[in-house]
Amino acid sequence: MSGTNPLATGIAGVRMESPLVLASGILGVTAATLGMAADAGAAAVTVKTCGMVPRKGHPGPAILPLQHGMLNAVGLSNPGVDAVAEEIREFRRIRRCPVFASIFGRTVPEFGEVAAHIARCDPDLIEVNVSCPNVESEFGLPFGADLESVAAITRIVKTAAGSIPVSVKLTIHCPSIARMAKVAEANGADAVTAINTVGPGMLIDVGCGRPVLSNLEGGLSGPAILPLAVRAVYRIREAVSIPIIGTGGVASAEDALQLIMAGATAVAVGTAIHREGVGVFGRIRQGLLDHLAEQGRDSIDAIRGCAHAR
Amino acid sequence: MPAEMTTQPVLSVLEHGESLKSFYFQQRFAVEPGQFVLLWLPGVDEKPFSVSDIADGRMEITVKAVGPMTRAMMAVSPGQRIGIRGPFGRGFSPVGPALVIGGGCGAAAVRYLARRLQRDHVACNVVLGARTAADIPFRDEYAGSATLVTEDGSIGHAGRVTDVLPDMLAQGGYRRACAAGPEGMLLAVRALCEARGLDYELSFERYMKCGVGICGHCAMDGSGLRMCVEGPVLGPRDLLGATDLGRAHRDATGARPASATGADQLCGVDGPKG
Repeated sequence: MSGTNPLATGIAGVRMESPLVLASGILGVTAATLGMAADAGAAAVTVKTCGMVPRKGHPGPAILPLQHGMLNAVGLSNPGVDAVAEEIREFRRIRRCPVFASIFGRTVPEFGEVAAHIARCDPDLIEVNVSCPNVESEFGLPFGADLESVAAITRIVKTAAGSIPVSVKLTIHCPSIARMAKVAEANGADAVTAINTVGPGMLIDVGCGRPVLSNLEGGLSGPAILPLAVRAVYRIREAVSIPIIGTGGVASAEDALQLIMAGATAVAVGTAIHREGVGVFGRIRQGLLDHLAEQGRDSIDAIRGCAHAR
Repeated sequence: MPAEMTTQPVLSVLEHGESLKSFYFQQRFAVEPGQFVLLWLPGVDEKPFSVSDIADGRMEITVKAVGPMTRAMMAVSPGQRIGIRGPFGRGFSPVGPALVIGGGCGAAAVRYLARRLQRDHVACNVVLGARTAADIPFRDEYAGSATLVTEDGSIGHAGRVTDVLPDMLAQGGYRRACAAGPEGMLLAVRALCEARGLDYELSFERYMKCGVGICGHCAMDGSGLRMCVEGPVLGPRDLLGATDLGRAHRDATGARPASATGADQLCGVDGPKG
């Protein structure tokens, strides 16, 4: 079947029916909602980022939809890695769709510990969230801004993950995201994911004169950050040969194509689900097929990275 | 698109008891009975609340003190600014003659539905139940027009809502039952309706984190229906496939508690919905 499916692709050995992935943090708490995304056309789903111990996250308001995007500071709420592993097992029982875990740690060794625990449920890929912007005050600067931390975390997670492929999720808030990707690759990463939310940003309610998010500030996502993601993927593609999961502001087939032409193998969709629901996957999927047909291409692989031609 | 968050002053506060109050705001957007809004008490938290009435351009929200935010709400006075955004979720779509059932804090949630039906001259009977008379907001307004039930017998029939429902249903003539309240009561209503072949709509609660359909926290296990988008009001077909009915619901971390006694959930918003 994959021989006749022009969208079929693969990332780090994971076979996918299309490049489209459900991004981490969206509908990722329960097996049932992951199933909704899979049914709607996500070719792989990413579970919400989990850590070693349960976290309630920040009080509300934690997620603010804006006219052109979203500002969020959920605070990495999660039921702990072992409960998440059970949710992944449950998802496996109800769907045959690749499932990516997403992990974070409060320290470098803890990244390894969480990876070892999540590896027990054998996810198709482990995404390493070194770039959540909402936990700085508690954990110091994001690990993703520091080359040595990214190197150490990549090594320790790779060791713990065994044969499960590892993708390091990078932030643009570092001197060079391409250099960061190179460090991840050099330390064994099988892929990189780019980008996380940007900022942080802040919104103030002018009526009461106070910041709206309980955390005061939060990561910005949505259409406005697409150009940042396209540029990041383009520069990472120049620097590394491992595959890239491109994400950031994707809401249409044109957006997804830009990331693919910049060099992404897979494209993750998140915030767009707020406005459109999971139907966005079907619409983007059809748009990708239409584009290939118009251009007379028989595979999405034929256009990957084409923006680099000179 | 629901309205973005903005704060607005509380116009007035009506005290039903020391832990049960109604707050009035200028109405900025349309809300259907059964839909909910997110209220933000700056410096405290943001939680989902049902709207207990809309009349004369004012939105009424009735709050019982059950958790940190609702307790803090008891100190809110007119003029204080509170953030409101909404509307969210799918509300009731009643057809008359309707049987409207509210248990515990569900009494506030179905008040707007009952008032709307009466204003629209749709035939309905209303049944409200609570532990004690003081837990039923606007109880004086219902004198003669609703069946009241209290566990301590302080007003109306002594007992539970489900004690009086079989006789009411036996009289027949209803086209749909609409209920809000503790999940144990909802499931009892469901069973009674199904036994009689009566259509029903039930308003469910689950812990809500984002309220806008993207986090997945408030989804029912099994079906994946999100209480903030496809719910909170669900009909017979929506409940097919749900595997967590009457069981302990997911908490703020997303964990599914191992214990299996979710029937006695808190009402309102510091409970499972928020």
